Amino acid sequence: MIQHVQTKIDPFTLEIVKDSLIAIGDEMFIALAKTSMSPIIYEVLDYASGLLDSKGQLLTQGNGVTGFIGMLSDMVKQTLKKFGDGQIKPGDIIIINDSYAGGGSHLSDVGLVMPIFYQGELVAFSANKAHWTEVGGKDPGSFSNDATEIFQEGLQFPCVKLFNEGTMNEAIIDIIEANVRFPELSLGDMWAQVAALKTGEKRVIELYEKHGKDTVFSSVEYLLDHGEQLARQELCKLPKGTFEAESFIDDDGFGNGPFKVKVKVTITNDKFIADFRGSHPQVPGPINCSYTALVSAVRAIFLAITNPSQDANDGVFRPLEIITDKGSVLSAERPAPVSIYWESMLAGADLIWKALAPIMPHRLSAGHLLSVCSVVLSGTHPDTKEPFLIVEPSVGGWGAAEGQDGARGQFCIGDGETYNVPVEVAETRYGVLVDEYSLHTDGAGAGEYIGGAGVVRSYRALSDQQMASVTFGRHKFLPWGINRGKDGSANHFYVEKANGEVDGPYGIYARYPLNTGDVVKLVTATGGGYGDPFKRPVEKVAKDARNGYISIKQAKEDFGVLVNPETFAVEGFAKERKQKGE
Amino acid sequence: MRVATDIGGTFTDLVYVNDKGEIGVAKSHTTPPYFEQGVMDVIEKSRIDQAAIETFIHGTTVIINALTERKGVKTGLITTKGFRDTLEIARGNRPDLFNVRYQKPVPFVDRYLRREVEERLNYKGEVLTPLNKEQLKEVIFYLKKEKVEAIAVAYLHSYVNPVHEIETVELINELWPEVAVTASYEVTKEWREYERTSTTVLNSYVKPIAASYVNRLHTKLLENKTDSQNYIMQSNGGTTTFHSAKQTPINMVESGPVAGIYGAAVLGEIIGEENIIAFDIGGTTAKCSLINQGKVKVSTDYFIEKTERNAGYPIKVPVVDIVEIGNGGGSIAWIDGAGSLKVGPQSAGALPGPVAYGQGGTEPTTTDANLLTGRLSPENFDYEVDLEKVRTSIKEKVADCFGLSVEEAALGIIRIANSNMLNALKLISIRKGHNPREFSLLAFGGGGSMHAPALAKELGVKKVIVPVASSVFSAWGMLMTDLRHDYIQTYIRRLNQLDLPELNKEWCSLETQAFKQFKEEGMEKGKVLFTRFADIRYLGQEHTVKVPVQNGEWTEETVSEVIKRFGDLHEQHYTFKLEGTPAEIVNLHLTAFGKVVKPTMKKLESGSSHAEDALKQTRPVYYEEHGWMDTNVYDRLLLGKDARISGPAIIEESSASTVLYPSQTLSVDEYGNIIIDTGVE
Repeated sequence: MIQHVQTKIDPFTLEIVKDSLIAIGDEMFIALAKTSMSPIIYEVLDYASGLLDSKGQLLTQGNGVTGFIGMLSDMVKQTLKKFGDGQIKPGDIIIINDSYAGGGSHLSDVGLVMPIFYQGELVAFSANKAHWTEVGGKDPGSFSNDATEIFQEGLQFPCVKLFNEGTMNEAIIDIIEANVRFPELSLGDMWAQVAALKTGEKRVIELYEKHGKDTVFSSVEYLLDHGEQLARQELCKLPKGTFEAESFIDDDGFGNGPFKVKVKVTITNDKFIADFRGSHPQVPGPINCSYTALVSAVRAIFLAITNPSQDANDGVFRPLEIITDKGSVLSAERPAPVSIYWESMLAGADLIWKALAPIMPHRLSAGHLLSVCSVVLSGTHPDTKEPFLIVEPSVGGWGAAEGQDGARGQFCIGDGETYNVPVEVAETRYGVLVDEYSLHTDGAGAGEYIGGAGVVRSYRALSDQQMASVTFGRHKFLPWGINRGKDGSANHFYVEKANGEVDGPYGIYARYPLNTGDVVKLVTATGGGYGDPFKRPVEKVAKDARNGYISIKQAKEDFGVLVNPETFAVEGFAKERKQKGE
Repeated sequence: MRVATDIGGTFTDLVYVNDKGEIGVAKSHTTPPYFEQGVMDVIEKSRIDQAAIETFIHGTTVIINALTERKGVKTGLITTKGFRDTLEIARGNRPDLFNVRYQKPVPFVDRYLRREVEERLNYKGEVLTPLNKEQLKEVIFYLKKEKVEAIAVAYLHSYVNPVHEIETVELINELWPEVAVTASYEVTKEWREYERTSTTVLNSYVKPIAASYVNRLHTKLLENKTDSQNYIMQSNGGTTTFHSAKQTPINMVESGPVAGIYGAAVLGEIIGEENIIAFDIGGTTAKCSLINQGKVKVSTDYFIEKTERNAGYPIKVPVVDIVEIGNGGGSIAWIDGAGSLKVGPQSAGALPGPVAYGQGGTEPTTTDANLLTGRLSPENFDYEVDLEKVRTSIKEKVADCFGLSVEEAALGIIRIANSNMLNALKLISIRKGHNPREFSLLAFGGGGSMHAPALAKELGVKKVIVPVASSVFSAWGMLMTDLRHDYIQTYIRRLNQLDLPELNKEWCSLETQAFKQFKEEGMEKGKVLFTRFADIRYLGQEHTVKVPVQNGEWTEETVSEVIKRFGDLHEQHYTFKLEGTPAEIVNLHLTAFGKVVKPTMKKLESGSSHAEDALKQTRPVYYEEHGWMDTNVYDRLLLGKDARISGPAIIEESSASTVLYPSQTLSVDEYGNIIIDTGVE
């Protein structure tokens, strides 16, 4: 049954204005990446930009990663709360990264908000949020896996005006310049953000001039209602009931943990309620996430479940309800450190995923690497003698699903249109040699459909006194298999020193010192499997072995298929597989 | 005589121009898998004297078909030790952000056919580990045993120094001369190992297919006593010889579509329009490209199968910048789950086609909407049109859902289709910092002239040009091409720290390469022209701006000029420049043209300058702001130089119609092109 949104203005005009709004969002998004100075923005696409209405409802958002899908609204709402309608003036730009008040993630993600006026009336906001390579704080790269208070994690911008009616507040620029390690990068990115906001402002005003206020207002309502309807229709198709899952977050960077987290998901015809009560209280280390961050994670998995391909706006999320205890690891409060907040934020998404995957195999897959697997490597380039800083996430294995093997070497759910840094680019810019960037084919995640392999990326230091901070969650608790598929494997890293000594494996480690010739070997997880491994067709098992995704031994032991190690021909079956009907 | 043949999905087109400048066209069916047969058929159908063909230019979809249908050969890949999975890991990106069942593009080479050898260069191109030839031999024997038909070789940092790739190819040629080989440095000299490896693999994958196709075509031509100079259209908007095409067939990936864009630039030069938005609407897609000051923009940011939901496969060869969207005459109108009208990207194709074709199509398309609103007449179709069936389809599938009349619904379909196309047109113009008022819209393809006048008005373009024979304009463009090769070399240097003698040497070496290639193709040095570009960015940025730079020796003044020009272009594209920040070159880009003698365009001799002499009929046409209006319909063939028409009006020609809106006017120029004044101030 199709229900139609009732409108006064002809439906095609609304559709056209709605598409124009989305196109403006896309344009703002591209403009930012093209001019950014930081690989974390232009390669990792760790930023988002969007348009919001005058109340802070999200209309359209361009995303490079999934993690910001709930955050722009909170930035704007905080702006409205602090300045009220009256103090927001045309030409203002507000800067905000406060994790607990409007920011949502960690201090590294700096948000800018610009009000848009048409004929003297506040009609919309353009906003963006981008990961700056540096916002100061105790460690290079700012986010730190052993911070104990937010004050160690960098500069805080508590929703203040960077521009006052078009005039830049020079003092803020000076403060940034004095407090961050690579000011030209951070300020370069800030300018890119400002330019993108102005593009949004210009286009929105053009849209108002062309179609008039009433039409654009109606289109905005239409856009939100349309999103809500699509979401509700999908909701109707889901199995109803209550579904629960529990899981653990490895540790907090100080060896505390593991921390239990849990969810109860209730699906009704018009609600999707995620209740995280009973999860562990906030912890001393920086893995805490704020409620806003959790909302983003839940929204991401909600979209995966309902309709991953739609344009997301606040209408889509109207059926969603999220409940937490106060001050839990998933809803932390000031001044808990939150540098590596994604570990708990993604654990939140993973819980819902895990609770629902067995009953929604057409939309969800088995567990995946889960962690952003971030690597921060700093040092001096041996040729230019200039300091360098690598800040990057890592790719790893995804879970298998009904009808498909898990993807190999992909960024986690928290990332998205994120690109790894090419080896040739890394070796030119940074003082490292990459010994290896290959699939880590440990053969974990056996199943009728197999989990995707993670990777090995090895950095060899080419100068002394380099420092690696590695944040690999899912180091102790494995990506889960479903419907009799086996679990995947863990994220971990080793250091192979120039003198032959090997140290590791580790998951989270702050500032591991490296000298010339030392190699840090970063290994990411294999995803969970789906279904009974004995049901995997024989030809596929033989081909997996030929391709080296599994060993001959695993072919026999996990899949019950005897494969000739030279020719990769199938030579027979193990007893267990035969008993199961081969 | 110059003859161009262009193989399309359904038809193979031919356009020729004889020594008097007279143009002729022919069409016949495309004949997969032996496409050369269709070429022979269309030559025969055109009844030209085959022995009189002096220049034969060919556009083909053979390469793109082999890629998208996975009809290439079994291919092996040899990489640096530790990097055989580069092809599979790719970039790790997931464009379909929220889809946790996202499936990564499958590599074109299975893992067991990706083999590693010991060898290593650093980023400066210095050898850290020499090539292990014993290991390489084993790899070659292994791939031979596995019966691959082509091998790709891609080593790290070979864009700086290809020494190990060269040695590898030599050894393969020595041990196994029959196998097709491509080394990465032969197809691209840009950094980023995944993109370079992907390009190399795809070239190898289609190389035997291309060789066999070009050879068969050549044999056929010779059998028919056609002893012509033969060229193949490349994606960069220029041609190359049959011989070169067989070496790097990946350069033919967009062989057909770019010809129209290039043709637009050529026509622009003839009629004095140097700023053009070329706009081509076909059956399933609309394509557009911006030509600024006579220059067609070429870049290496090309992918196949890349969509909003799929990462696709990068191909780092020069391709004319085209934005293509799934909106053409056959695009289907449909209503989404929450009641929004959408048009495309699903297309009814040639079969069953729009409802109007009466070939079994039941879903309303843009063409059907154009028919119901009077923009097209039933007589425009090759088929018997059942108007009632078209009405019913639009009524049931669209109008009833909104409680609107059939006309309103049909107009809605046109408006949504226009809105999609408008977004594509904005993407290449306004959003790149260009003011549409300074551009003319050149419309071609079967649907170009029907939608262009309305779109131009929306976009703010003052003038629309509908060229002669607009529906086969792409093939005409092919007739007007020069030979062209692009040489792109990654060369990362800060502009304030340039070693000028070294840079001049680098440019010189690119030019030497070009002269050498043209010489092999029989082009004399005097006819070779160069244009240079540098891809530049601010230090720290990733994305570059392509900056036209001067030919000849660079001096300190040149550098200052280049820095200034870069800053201006950056500001134009992205609204700001960073005065204090150093700029950095990433790539040197040399474009080399081998100029050929081209036919002159013939002036219009027939037709009447009084439009009323061309009046065919008057019929009602439904317009956005005016509703139904009685509209004069003219026969384009009868319109002569200086004929003038005021809208509303329809001008019909074979396989295309121009829709002139109320308050728009048009005139016919001396060549027969229709020039529309869109009414934009």
